[in-house]
Amino acid sequence: MVSASEIRRAVVIEDDPDIRGLLVRVLAKQGFEVTEAGAGLPGVEEVRRRQPDLVTLDLNLPDIDGLEVCNLLREFSDAFIVMLTARADELDKLTGLDNGADEYISKPFSPRELQSRINALFRRRPSAAADSANRSELERATEVQQSLLPKEDIRVDGYDVAGMFRPSRSVGGDFYDWYQTPEGLHLTFADAMGKGMGAALIAATVRAVMRSTGRRQDLDGAFASASKAIATDLDSSNSFVTLFHARLDAASGTVSYVDAGHGLALHVRSDGAAHRLPSGGPPVGAWAGSQWPQSNLELAPGDSLVVVSDGVLDVFDSVEDFTEAVRRATQGQDSAQAASGAILALAPAETAEDDVTVVVVRRLPDEAAA
Amino acid sequence: MEFSYEVKDSYAEVKADGRLNMVSAPKLREFVTDVIAGGSNRIVVNLENTAFMDSSGLGALIGCLKAARQAGGDLRIAAVQPQVKMVLQLTSMDKVLTAYGTAEEAFRND
Repeated sequence: MVSASEIRRAVVIEDDPDIRGLLVRVLAKQGFEVTEAGAGLPGVEEVRRRQPDLVTLDLNLPDIDGLEVCNLLREFSDAFIVMLTARADELDKLTGLDNGADEYISKPFSPRELQSRINALFRRRPSAAADSANRSELERATEVQQSLLPKEDIRVDGYDVAGMFRPSRSVGGDFYDWYQTPEGLHLTFADAMGKGMGAALIAATVRAVMRSTGRRQDLDGAFASASKAIATDLDSSNSFVTLFHARLDAASGTVSYVDAGHGLALHVRSDGAAHRLPSGGPPVGAWAGSQWPQSNLELAPGDSLVVVSDGVLDVFDSVEDFTEAVRRATQGQDSAQAASGAILALAPAETAEDDVTVVVVRRLPDEAAA
Repeated sequence: MEFSYEVKDSYAEVKADGRLNMVSAPKLREFVTDVIAGGSNRIVVNLENTAFMDSSGLGALIGCLKAARQAGGDLRIAAVQPQVKMVLQLTSMDKVLTAYGTAEEAFRND
């Protein structure tokens, strides 16, 4: 079933929107015309309609499972089917079965691995489109990373919230994410080990997992289950991620947070004092059996919570110098946006080797909030 | 980054001189894995001349520690310089990777 045109088509069947977006992007850059489906049955229909050359198929889908989808597809399609699974132990079982898939890849995967596996499959079915994937992996990693940042500003009554991100040339694994809740907001700030697409994809996984635990009321429990899910994914790649996750109760100003190996969040008070919040345990994925206690801080009117990435720290000789510089940069500014800009400027773009990321959550002074 | 090692009475000392970053991290892992494969499972990584370590470097040390423990031994670090110490403290990994003043002290008491 070689398609008439030289364009290769792919269908991505994956329920996690972030991972789906990444797969679409990676395949598009490899020269595929890509369409997508978020569940099994719509995916089967999409394959019937598009007659693709390649299908990527998540094993765990909300309606019917991936193996069932695979069986249905094999009734009418001879597309290459690449099955994705988040669990390495599932992978062992799957490869032992003759279920119609051509390749199995465990998440998190590196795009390079995905590409080379797909290229190997297509060597049996060469295509002119294969050469059109001429953009560097680094450019793609940058796109992935940018796609993880919040698209919208956040508005919480009585607060001023801003974040800024400046990628390095080599693309690190920084990102931040936030969203509004009935009580206030949830904030995630993370840095995945390493650089390039591998780090960007780990960051994407972390973002998806942290978002999925947002509905749980207890921060301790939510973080414990999220870190477990992330660590399982990280185990296969020998990687880890530093993670600061906070929940703001806007009415009281209470911030509950968990810090896994980040250690670069600051409480800057309206009276000028700054206090660094030490991490509560190792990065997620670094050491089995780690536990992370929940801590709290009270944001009084005029206080700020400032979270900064190690790209800024690298400019200073010590944590003390860093803390003092961030304190000063935060204090002199009249908005969270201006403070973020001033902190970002501490690590000049010309010399910074790593991503630089900052988030400022400022509780407005009483007169301004009234 | 340059690596060397020397087998002592009760441990093997690995010296890692230079910057422990994304480029050199995989090489350190490989080097230490080879030393373990050579029969030493008690490893001291002497960081006297390691002026800088990034997250990939930390990842390599953790990987080496896991490998040494898996081989029934341990990995300890010695002569840690300020920037490396800072990274270990910020990430709370100083509780997992035990630091000693000198390589000789690392396995002295066991």
